[in-house]
Amino acid sequence: MFQYLLLLGAYLFCLGIYGLVTSRNMIRALMCLELMLNGVNINMVVFSNNVDFVSLKGEVFVLFIIAIAAAEAAIGLAIILNIYRNQDSVRIDQFDLLKW
Amino acid sequence: MTIITLSESIKSNILLFLEIGIVLGSLGVVFLRKIVYSALLLGFVFICIALVYLILNADFLATTQILIYVGAVNVLILFGIMLVNKPEYGFSQKQTIGETITLLMCIGLFVILSIGIFSTVWETSYSTLFQTENKFNFNDIKLIGDHILTDMLLPFELLSILLLITLVGCITIAQKNSLIVYDNTINLKKD
Repeated sequence: MFQYLLLLGAYLFCLGIYGLVTSRNMIRALMCLELMLNGVNINMVVFSNNVDFVSLKGEVFVLFIIAIAAAEAAIGLAIILNIYRNQDSVRIDQFDLLKW
Repeated sequence: MTIITLSESIKSNILLFLEIGIVLGSLGVVFLRKIVYSALLLGFVFICIALVYLILNADFLATTQILIYVGAVNVLILFGIMLVNKPEYGFSQKQTIGETITLLMCIGLFVILSIGIFSTVWETSYSTLFQTENKFNFNDIKLIGDHILTDMLLPFELLSILLLITLVGCITIAQKNSLIVYDNTINLKKD
């Protein structure tokens, strides 16, 4: 059970990387980023449950990760809204304004 | 009957269902065409992960996951989708060569991680600390509270400052800025 849960965390991480790199829509990229963070969270909770049973340090770190992920999702969506207002599209491959 | 007094086989069966739900839900998040379906399946994946935390004796984390991820982050993503909704015209995109390379690399990374997971001998790496039998921890939230007020006080306070900065930053970024012209000068009007 321990190893299958670690495998689940690795699966969520790899699927999140694939979705983040290959998605055309910016909001889908944000959702895949949240998937990656949740994969890491599952990994930490599994280790904290099996190894660090006396003091649950893994769960405290997961709390920090959850808070930071919420903050980053809010800022990411604010940026996406601003881009949509200026350029009227949310496709990642149409934003080459900063290219040399 | 609390969740931690269930037997090991019932926990394995519940975990099997939850894992199938997470696997299929996350595939739907990445690959479905309509983005609203992806966002709703993301909420389903978050709820399944919260139930996995509940089985792993992390009840405070399960509550926090549902409150913050499902209640705040998922709702925020759905609001964002509704505000920037451009209708997709149903054409299917061909897979480019870059996407194929990324797929192969992600599958390679997953294979490497799974080889690493299944070939380490976990019991002798952490020989005195590893618990395979089920010990019950009734003090989950007390231990977490002890840590964030004694050991990890500095990250906790910095996190609160970060959340304050995020709040101010979000409002500043998402403001409407429009130009107004008066007396032959152009000024920026903040809404």
